[in-house]
Amino acid sequence: MQPDEQALTFPCADEWLTAILSPAAAPARRGVLIVVGGPQYRAGSHRQFALLARALAAQGIPAMRFDYRGMGDSSGPARNFEGVDADLRAAIDRFMAAVPGLQEVVIWGLCDAASAALFYARHDRRVSGLVLLNPWARTPDGLARATLKHYYVERLLQPALWKKIASGQFEFGKALRSFSGLLRASRRGPAEAPVAAPAAQAAAAVPAMPASPDLHARMLAGWQGFAGPILLIISGADLTAQEFLDMVKASRQWRKLLAAPRVQRHTLHAADHTFSRREWRDQVAAWTAAWVAETGARA
Amino acid sequence: MNAIAAAPPAQPFFLGSGAAARFCLYHAPATACRGAWLYLHPFAEEMNKSRRMAALQARALARRGYAVLQMDLYGCGDSAGDFGDARWDIWHQDAARGMAWLEQQSSCVAGLWGLRLGALLALDVAQAHAPSALLLWQPVTNGSQFLTQFLRLKVASQMLADGKDGKDGKDGKDSNSGGGGTAALKQSLAAGQPLEIAGYLLDPALALAIEARTAEGFAPPACPVHWFEMAAESGRPLSPVAARAAAALAAGGAIMSTRVVAGPQFWATQEIEECPALLDATLQSLSEPCHAA
Repeated sequence: MQPDEQALTFPCADEWLTAILSPAAAPARRGVLIVVGGPQYRAGSHRQFALLARALAAQGIPAMRFDYRGMGDSSGPARNFEGVDADLRAAIDRFMAAVPGLQEVVIWGLCDAASAALFYARHDRRVSGLVLLNPWARTPDGLARATLKHYYVERLLQPALWKKIASGQFEFGKALRSFSGLLRASRRGPAEAPVAAPAAQAAAAVPAMPASPDLHARMLAGWQGFAGPILLIISGADLTAQEFLDMVKASRQWRKLLAAPRVQRHTLHAADHTFSRREWRDQVAAWTAAWVAETGARA
Repeated sequence: MNAIAAAPPAQPFFLGSGAAARFCLYHAPATACRGAWLYLHPFAEEMNKSRRMAALQARALARRGYAVLQMDLYGCGDSAGDFGDARWDIWHQDAARGMAWLEQQSSCVAGLWGLRLGALLALDVAQAHAPSALLLWQPVTNGSQFLTQFLRLKVASQMLADGKDGKDGKDGKDSNSGGGGTAALKQSLAAGQPLEIAGYLLDPALALAIEARTAEGFAPPACPVHWFEMAAESGRPLSPVAARAAAALAAGGAIMSTRVVAGPQFWATQEIEECPALLDATLQSLSEPCHAA
């Protein structure tokens, strides 16, 4: 029998944050703090985080998720993922206080929450591992390149597109305008970045907030500065993930970091950005639980 | 820490335990209680996107002396259960349970504040549990059309998966009967087949209950009704469907106050949007006497 979830409120600077704790039935020294990415609150897109927390708790891993300042039920002005260090610290404090015997925390983050986790982890010794899903590494020219490479090129190979062209249903003007805008942006110039993401991305919960220009450098410093194990989970059908991988491919430093033994990597080829099917969600939960147990036992 | 001392936090808690657990957030009134509101959230992803606006309005109401309870319905948000097991009747009972808790806590008669499908649920609940007032934000007036729109998400994702980008219906905006895509999905539902749509498992029983409801189909509530719609620009009239539904309720004797506020459709935007004009207009409307529309 699982213990009931607990609703918590705790301060961060001059604001109040709201959190849900999913306790495990037995004492545990390791817990998972689920950090929310994109324009979402603590339940996550299609409740992914609520269900993940319950799945982890059922396997003996306490989990907590919360709204940072200005999001969901938490008070304060809206903010983005680049300014949540104090929120993460306050949440870990509260998590530790709520679960007696808890010694260390794994931060689990999707999209820009993965990037926020990378920024934070090296500053808090209680953080013993990171689970990063489709990390957010977007820069305007990187987005345009990834779109060209992974969306348009793929479409050109699809029979359906050619059937459409043959039957006169394809809107050449519209496609060309979109395509040439991307070409311009991919060659240079953040000012010319495409306004609209391609349809494949439109429904995904990705942030449109401008990241600081040194986003890649900050992520690199975060990864290098954190000594613990990292689980990287990648969606095959997600531009955000592709941009991250493109960034990695283009840099020797990144390639080396990802090849290190402390990094474990899984790819869900068919999955979209938010793992919007039950089978994908369950797979992510299973990988997370197994990795948390395995790396915890080794530590 | 002064700001914290001055503004106590809303109290999150679970009402009940196990399968009966419903996540609630109680905003105690800052002054002597002048009224109470139970918030009924919208459907699926619209609930997530509007969470911020609901929190902002709830806090603003509490500062003005209203007790506010935000409640996650069964299978939604932080409440117990899976979305695929949610049923309209369970949500109906949840709302009644929330009203009872709120009235006991605040000693005020509860009103129902609903957004989108939550507003349609509020109209339904008002049939059985006389609320003090209704506050309806962009109500879904036609459950069948609403269901069609939700099903379009699946049609779109199927087309992307198949590598097509055709349209749902010839002109891309199918009528109630639906284009091939949504009509076929409605047939699957009618045959008892649950559908996984944008990460949510939709049970046929819930879909059919939504499909059967319209705002005009309810008996006019015997309480003031504050009806709000968002529009792209100020000065716009109520949309024709909302005007028709509001007129029907008014003709039946409901005391209607309708307003159009300029701002984003914050329950459906890509980013989290705030609309201060709606927050202000809502507070203002509640402090004015209602008149027949």
